[in-house]
Amino acid sequence: MKHVFLDEYSDLRSPVHQLDPRAKLVGFAALIVICVSTPPDRYAAFAAYLGLELALVLVSRLPWRHVLKRMLVVLPFILVVAAFLPFFGEGGGSYNLGPLTLSAHGLLVLWNVAAKSTISVLAVILLSSTTPFPELLKGMEKLKVPVLLTTILSFMYRYVFVLMDELQRMRRARDSRGWSGKWFWQSKVIGHMIAALFLRSYERGERVYAAMLARGYGGGTHTIYLYEFGAMEVGFMVMLVLFPLAARLIS
Amino acid sequence: MHIPDGFLNTGVSVVTGVAAAGAIGYGLYKAREELDERSVPMLALCAAFIFAAQMLNFPIAGGTSGHFLGGALAAVLLGPWLGGLVIALVLLVQCLGFADGGLTALGANVFNMALIGTILIYYVFHGIKLLLPKSRSAFLAATGVTAWLSVFLASGACAVELAISGTSPLSVALPAMLGIHALIGIVEGAITVLVVGVVLAVRPDLVRTYDYRPVAAGLGEAEVSG
Repeated sequence: MKHVFLDEYSDLRSPVHQLDPRAKLVGFAALIVICVSTPPDRYAAFAAYLGLELALVLVSRLPWRHVLKRMLVVLPFILVVAAFLPFFGEGGGSYNLGPLTLSAHGLLVLWNVAAKSTISVLAVILLSSTTPFPELLKGMEKLKVPVLLTTILSFMYRYVFVLMDELQRMRRARDSRGWSGKWFWQSKVIGHMIAALFLRSYERGERVYAAMLARGYGGGTHTIYLYEFGAMEVGFMVMLVLFPLAARLIS
Repeated sequence: MHIPDGFLNTGVSVVTGVAAAGAIGYGLYKAREELDERSVPMLALCAAFIFAAQMLNFPIAGGTSGHFLGGALAAVLLGPWLGGLVIALVLLVQCLGFADGGLTALGANVFNMALIGTILIYYVFHGIKLLLPKSRSAFLAATGVTAWLSVFLASGACAVELAISGTSPLSVALPAMLGIHALIGIVEGAITVLVVGVVLAVRPDLVRTYDYRPVAAGLGEAEVSG
């Protein structure tokens, strides 16, 4: 069945896809921290961050449609929390736009959150769309994230697709029986579906554990790490840290 | 309610980040203690369940829809620390996989939805339970109130963090967030009650916080299929 894939397009081949996940994790995290801590009036610096990311999207051959669609995720939060700010903010002078008065301070705050969240979200999309999730977890493990945490996450990744399929079958069964939910009181069906999903998930967990024990599970998993931290990785990290830092200092 | 990057200042990010990391660390410790090696498959399946359940839209009115959050459900079914850990895992995957919630705001999101919305809310639930008679219907009523409070308090914490960061003034953000989530919370409460009711009827042993025995409706395990 077709559903939302967590790490869609991470199976493409490109110079960015082939990098060691550790370099991408640290590099993109550094870019986000640098971007978030930049004062909002350094417009040239934000342009430089965005330019670097757009270049990486080109190099990694990700489809633009996919990138733009994923970027929409920040829009609702900006609309609810920040879109009204220019009309309420105080101080810093104001602009008149016909009958509307826009506060300069409010506009600056709106620009600040919109620019920073857009650039950061693009960085995470670049990371997750160029790195298969299991490889990302192995990279995290190499960076000393607790093994218990990464193991649980890798099992979660393994089973989330199974449960999504389960949910899709339940949804199809519901809809084929003529359900058309429009009103709140019709939510009873949803409650029962979630309960059924929980019971099936939990019982699957028990079966998975029994199957693991039967195969000699003793608390750990061993896998091969295929990446090497070479010149490409060093170059990539230098680019993702030094270029934004330089742009920030110069602007 | 997933705060993106750029909305919080350094202080808020660091303080909530440290608190969140501490809670996750203690959750992992409790998981090892309570579930030992079973913790890997059980917590992974529970987290995947919450993740999938959040994708299921329910109708609100005239075609608009919302989705389930599950903080209170995790607390009632799994207890405070395992429940909080499961919600934190879901937030981590949403952040890394969908860019839903920022990397530097991950601590704040875990703080709001796992620490307040699940762990703190468990103790509120425990308190409400003590005040009510020991019956199945009172248990479900406590569950519903807790689920509403979970959404309400988490959204309030979110508004306070945004105000401390200087993003949106408290006088505007707090009433707006609380108002919207007071409504969302009603649906969350109703769904949580339904889910817990069904699980209590079919496999009461899976509701960790339900300690009134015997269960009124005597449906056995044979009722579960698939």
